[in-house]
Amino acid sequence: MYRIRLHGRGGQGMKTASRILGSALFLEGYEVQDAPRYGAERRGAPIFAYVRADKQPINERGIIASPDLIIVADDSLVPVAAAGVLAGVDADCVLLINSDDDKETWRQRLNFKGKIYTLPVETEDRAELRFIGATCSGAAACLLGIISRESLTQAIQTELSALGMAVINTNLTKALAAFDHMQTAAGCVSEGKAILATDYQSPDWVQLPFEEARTSAPAIHAAATSVNVNTGVWRTLRPVIDYQLCNKCWWICSTFCPDGAIDVDDNNTPQIDYQHCKGCMICVAQCPPHAISSVAEELAQANEKKAAKRKQGVRS
Amino acid sequence: MTEAAVGFYRRMKDLPSTHLLGTGTAMCAGCGGLEALHEIYDIIGDKSIFVNAAGCMTLLSVYPFTPFRGSWLYTAMASAPAGAQGVRDALDILKAKKQITDDEDMQVVVLTGDGSAYGMGLSATSGAMERDLDFLYICYDNEGYGNTGQQYSGATPHAAKTSTSKGARGFAGFKKDLFSIWAAHQPAYVATVIGAEPLDLAKKIEKARSLKGPRMIIALSPCPTGWDYDPKETVNIGKLAVKTGVWPLKEYINGKVVHTKIPRQRQPLEDYLKCQGRYKHLFEPQRNEVMLNQLQQKIDQYWDNING
Amino acid sequence: MTRMLLTGNAAAAWAARLAVADYIPAFPITPQTEIIESLANWIDNGEMDARLVTLESEHSMITAAGAAAATGIRVYSATSSQGLLYAMEMLYTVAGWRAPFVLTNVSRGLSSPITLESDHNDIVAARDCGFLQIHCSSCQEVLDNTLMAFRLAEDARIRLPVIVNLDGFYLSFTREPVELPDADKCRQFVGQYDAQNMLFRASRPTSQAVAVLGGSPYSYFRYETHLAAQNGLSVYEDVATDFEQHFGRHYDVLEAYKTEDAEIVFVIMGSYSSKAKDAVNSLRDAGQKAGLLRPRLLRPFPAKHFQQALKDVKAVAVIDQNISTGMGGVLHTELSAALYGQTQAPQLIASYMGGLGGRDISSEEFFEMAKEVSNAVKKNQPLAPRLLYTETELRELRKLQAVAHVERQQLHNSRQQTKKGGAIK
Repeated sequence: MYRIRLHGRGGQGMKTASRILGSALFLEGYEVQDAPRYGAERRGAPIFAYVRADKQPINERGIIASPDLIIVADDSLVPVAAAGVLAGVDADCVLLINSDDDKETWRQRLNFKGKIYTLPVETEDRAELRFIGATCSGAAACLLGIISRESLTQAIQTELSALGMAVINTNLTKALAAFDHMQTAAGCVSEGKAILATDYQSPDWVQLPFEEARTSAPAIHAAATSVNVNTGVWRTLRPVIDYQLCNKCWWICSTFCPDGAIDVDDNNTPQIDYQHCKGCMICVAQCPPHAISSVAEELAQANEKKAAKRKQGVRS
Repeated sequence: MTEAAVGFYRRMKDLPSTHLLGTGTAMCAGCGGLEALHEIYDIIGDKSIFVNAAGCMTLLSVYPFTPFRGSWLYTAMASAPAGAQGVRDALDILKAKKQITDDEDMQVVVLTGDGSAYGMGLSATSGAMERDLDFLYICYDNEGYGNTGQQYSGATPHAAKTSTSKGARGFAGFKKDLFSIWAAHQPAYVATVIGAEPLDLAKKIEKARSLKGPRMIIALSPCPTGWDYDPKETVNIGKLAVKTGVWPLKEYINGKVVHTKIPRQRQPLEDYLKCQGRYKHLFEPQRNEVMLNQLQQKIDQYWDNING
Repeated sequence: MTRMLLTGNAAAAWAARLAVADYIPAFPITPQTEIIESLANWIDNGEMDARLVTLESEHSMITAAGAAAATGIRVYSATSSQGLLYAMEMLYTVAGWRAPFVLTNVSRGLSSPITLESDHNDIVAARDCGFLQIHCSSCQEVLDNTLMAFRLAEDARIRLPVIVNLDGFYLSFTREPVELPDADKCRQFVGQYDAQNMLFRASRPTSQAVAVLGGSPYSYFRYETHLAAQNGLSVYEDVATDFEQHFGRHYDVLEAYKTEDAEIVFVIMGSYSSKAKDAVNSLRDAGQKAGLLRPRLLRPFPAKHFQQALKDVKAVAVIDQNISTGMGGVLHTELSAALYGQTQAPQLIASYMGGLGGRDISSEEFFEMAKEVSNAVKKNQPLAPRLLYTETELRELRKLQAVAHVERQQLHNSRQQTKKGGAIK
């Protein structure tokens, strides 16, 4: 059975990508299961979807613990623990990652034993990634080696049929380009095996102890614990304040920020809390002197790294 | 009845002398709600289906006895208007699919007490009005949870003694203005009626019957059991409710509220209160002047706004 | 007949469309909402000749559904979890009316704590209400059994509403290949709606759902409902035979998988049963005679079917995706009652509770259950009920509790520090 797990952000079309792959595999005569998995998270938050394909009817269900192919639409998710991108990987697993960094960088960074392929998205604005779902599904189709160009095309046409010809065609172009781009690695994904009753690790079952309701009721006995949640990882665009332009008004940006992620200090100077800023850009839209600009998160992070290096250089 | 027939009820003599609603029900002797219902039923007619919520009138139909010459469906306390929605929609679907002829159609009528109408059923009623359901809603309002022994409800008037407000000051809350709550939904029709004023009632039901959409009726229903008076006084007390101005007879139609019977010289409220055991504590062991004044003032204020 | 990828929700919606439902009272709730959205879109596009009305609650939704069925049309509705419980009063009420219609429940764990993910506590809570219950394990089964449910509900031997249950996420949002049966064939299979004498017409005064006074008539009416529900077993078999003749797929009241020579049998409901199937295959490869029983019908309860199927089986592992608080797994309790006093009944009926709130049950856990049960049988020892829960999970939970509880201690400490003039971290 092929087990494919797709990681992306809410809004990047991972559900659609999983459906394109599902449909294409179905067209190729496979039994298929595809499903998105999401909880309370919203646009920008890490989500995943999965696809199973087998020549036999599929009895396995639910999340995929050990995938054969992992598709990462947004490389900024890899270091995010909550995204669980690398959960259950082994040496047989193939990692397809959309990134400007090359595969050697990723191999070293992750100490990853399996094959890695990167998918540079040259023409796309990294902050938007409007066609990343189609691109990923095209590349993945090629890596699987069991989906023809024709089936991929038909699957995209079926899954995007509600969006009209223009959108379908753009997606098709992207997907087929990615498919062709991966030709050298065609068919590198192999079918994983099921866990056998003759060889399995016993679950570490535990008897739950009785605990008084003061402990075991679903209550939070503390204030504002949500600040522990790093919603900054949802962000694909970063608002950056130009303090030269900021006129230290009556903190309009701070008032309108839905997340309360902009604090104003005693000098009326706003500070953005990037741990929690989700990148909605209301501050950018509302700042009277247009002192806040929108920078692709990826770029902002790269700039930060450069700046840090320079600092180090100065010190040493 | 056709629209041309609207305006038929001009004099008491125009009211029917034989009645549609069957005798033999389990309602209390002297029930003001049943009195209003049978007057209403005469005008609605037997081409109707009553969708009933839990309340005193649950027991109108007790297997195998029913007083209805038309149809009846008992639902539950909170959702009779939703039951009416199901029946109305089903009849419309059957007509649209030509599975029944138009003469198999019926008026869909919701029948609930004040417990349901003012409280648990309000959400379902609001929903039905919001969906512009074509139905008639009749609330028999005896100002308390009567079927369980007259505990106070959202319809209980200030100071009334109920079995859950037995203290010296009676019920501390105030009767909810359901008429206005309903009218705020801008349904086709809202009216207050009372069995003791059968001509006013007949005119309103006749009008309601001729309209489409939600048509909402509140019938104040003097209740010998819950209000503690001799059953023979039901009509007298009902008339006093109108004459003292406690129960304004009015209707809402086309965005306007019109009072259909303005008592030119209102009787003192006391006349209405003192004939009911539920207000006895206002007079015995000594008169509670403060409270009586407060109650009278509230009535005066209401009518000052109307007449002023 | 077209084979296509459909989610469980889409399969349910398709069945309502193919059964030519006239009326759909609706109310949105996760993870059911896709069903009513699909139906609404089809109706808006003129692809389905029905009326969909969104009520203001599930309580009202079931009232409207029952009332419309009582007026004599074919009704379909869908809900989930809290919605099913919000409607609970009306579930009992409309079943008592003997109003036949079909309700899809997309299983989801109950509050509190509130969750979006799947388990069976919602649907087992409704087991005594008078609705028949069909539990599905695949999207195909959802479609086929929803069609069958209309036949079941409307059969004169039953005339009760039927719930078709599918698991949230695991089926509701999961696409699988589903054979979409031919519309005309479906129409033929389900048949014209026969209102029997349950209708409201101006020419036929009828009082429905009338009160009774006294226990004697009450007992009669309720017990008749029980008898009608019990007919569900044989009527389901009839309907399944007819379904097979029409569409070639066969459904048993109690699905038996490799049970003939089985020594250990898993008993489980819903979509997780297909995982159990994989485990059975793997256990058999490893030389252990395992099998699987899955009740499609929970109401009526197929007691005789179980008794028959479990003859000479040494041990049963019942896996409940529910907890009756203070008692344990509902299916375990009911199966034990059904097997009590039977000669040749299993020596051990072990109780496992797992998959609560969408928690997975891994293959390893199925293997381990088989191991634990077969060891207990060998040693002739009883086995205490077990919640499938691991130390790893408990460790993770402790981390969450640290945030929820210990934080207060930290806050307290930091306040103390502030008082002393220290800085807050």
